[in-house]
Amino acid sequence: MPDTAPSEPIDRLLPLAPGRARLARRDLAEGLRRSWMWWALALQDIRLRYRGSALGPLWLTISTLVMVVAMGFIYARLFQTDTRSYMPYLTVGLIVWQLISTLITDGCQTFTASEAVIQQVPIPFSIHAYRVVCRNFIIFAHSLVLVPIGLAALRIPVGWRAIEAVAGGAVIAVNGVWIAILLGMFSARFRDIPPIVASFVQVAFFVTPVFWPIEALGEYRGIAEYNPLFAAIDVIRAPLLGQATAATSWPVLLAATVVGCAVSFALFARFRSRIAYWV
Amino acid sequence: MAYVRLRDVSVEFPVYNVGSRSLKKLLLNTTALGNIAKDAHDRITVQALSGISLDLDHGDRLALIGVNGAGKSTLLKVLAGIYEPTRGRVHASGRVSALLTASVGLNPDATGRENIVMRGMFMDVHPREMRARVEEVAAFTELGHYLDMPVRTYSAGMLIRLCFAVATAIPPEILLMDEWLAAGDELFLAKARGRMEHLITGSSIMVLASHSLPLLKEWCNRAIMLEGGRVVAAGSVEEVAALYQRGGQG
Repeated sequence: MPDTAPSEPIDRLLPLAPGRARLARRDLAEGLRRSWMWWALALQDIRLRYRGSALGPLWLTISTLVMVVAMGFIYARLFQTDTRSYMPYLTVGLIVWQLISTLITDGCQTFTASEAVIQQVPIPFSIHAYRVVCRNFIIFAHSLVLVPIGLAALRIPVGWRAIEAVAGGAVIAVNGVWIAILLGMFSARFRDIPPIVASFVQVAFFVTPVFWPIEALGEYRGIAEYNPLFAAIDVIRAPLLGQATAATSWPVLLAATVVGCAVSFALFARFRSRIAYWV
Repeated sequence: MAYVRLRDVSVEFPVYNVGSRSLKKLLLNTTALGNIAKDAHDRITVQALSGISLDLDHGDRLALIGVNGAGKSTLLKVLAGIYEPTRGRVHASGRVSALLTASVGLNPDATGRENIVMRGMFMDVHPREMRARVEEVAAFTELGHYLDMPVRTYSAGMLIRLCFAVATAIPPEILLMDEWLAAGDELFLAKARGRMEHLITGSSIMVLASHSLPLLKEWCNRAIMLEGGRVVAAGSVEEVAALYQRGGQG
């Protein structure tokens, strides 16, 4: 028999095993506390991704610009709106869409991309999710520089409403975290999730009013109004362009946030300890 | 004071085959009645550890002895906090450093220097603090200007130098080591040995898994032998090593 007879009562040394929910909460809080860690990791990711390219993440900004200019002229004709009001709508729409879609597709890699780390060092799993969100927001910030330039060029005044857009960004960040955790876990367990998600995102781009005006739906605009992806775009886009958000946008987005967080947390609590075995 | 308590710890390892890794197949199987039990759960569960109880306290230098697949590496991962056991309880206190494989989570595209800082981060050392130590680590590796090149350009020997230096840069309280050092060149091994001795004396608890009995005898003061995920023997290194050798011959 192993000589493991305890010298002290075990119960005194071992606190009752904390529940899964408590461990998951601790994981999320511990990760949040080490903000410097995921911030540094996110910066490092970007530095590595754009190493050797002179413009770095600004390449993405330029490709957005090219897309906006090319699409702007043609689609403004197609939708029979004037270019001057369509261009800003398209620009902000595309930029926010890029943020949301990369949060979703990148979220699939949350844990599989960090496999080497997960297998070697015990750090809170949430750090990988915060890292994904942080990384995509840094890229988003690069594209965002187009907005003030565009607004100034088109002489669209930026009002106090812009603060609402900041709140929208914050809510999207919260959504990014649950998406990264949920999709990250699913993709670690089921390796065919990332391509499924990628094709879903592609379809979503066309059925969500990103580059076409919601008014074009006429009596069917409800289809878009209850689309949380549109809600997420609207809470940033409308305030930046000095317009009111659709009445449904905030309720839909907040509902998606609450439901998403609840589902994601429940699954995270249940399967958190399995992630290390899955990756 | 660092300590580790394991109580009745078991680890079951799901080994997913191609089929059970696919959501599509899982769904298709659920609809095609009859195959559910067979295919949807078509995964092999490996009992990597079963019913391990272990107490480690300050000054313990534990040798893990056992053939390949006995559960040594899994036990180290449980001790490191990487694997949460499927049953049983683990309670530990103290900063852990695990030298499990030679890659130690290095990022192949980052330079040697960046990896040094990054590894420090994973051990909860702020990059600012770590940058102050980079030169010290860099000097130990003797890699010179290679440290400014991406790690993927390194040879195996260079990788080991970097990994070892990086992983041992921050003295841990609980040091866990799997056998992988042997791939280094002679010169570096001698140097690593010096550092290792320093590290071991500095650490509060050390667990070393190795096939090299002389190495274990030199560095450890306790031993357990694993077989099929169970502790089959425990005691002094000499006793357990003798038992292991007998088992090997018989």
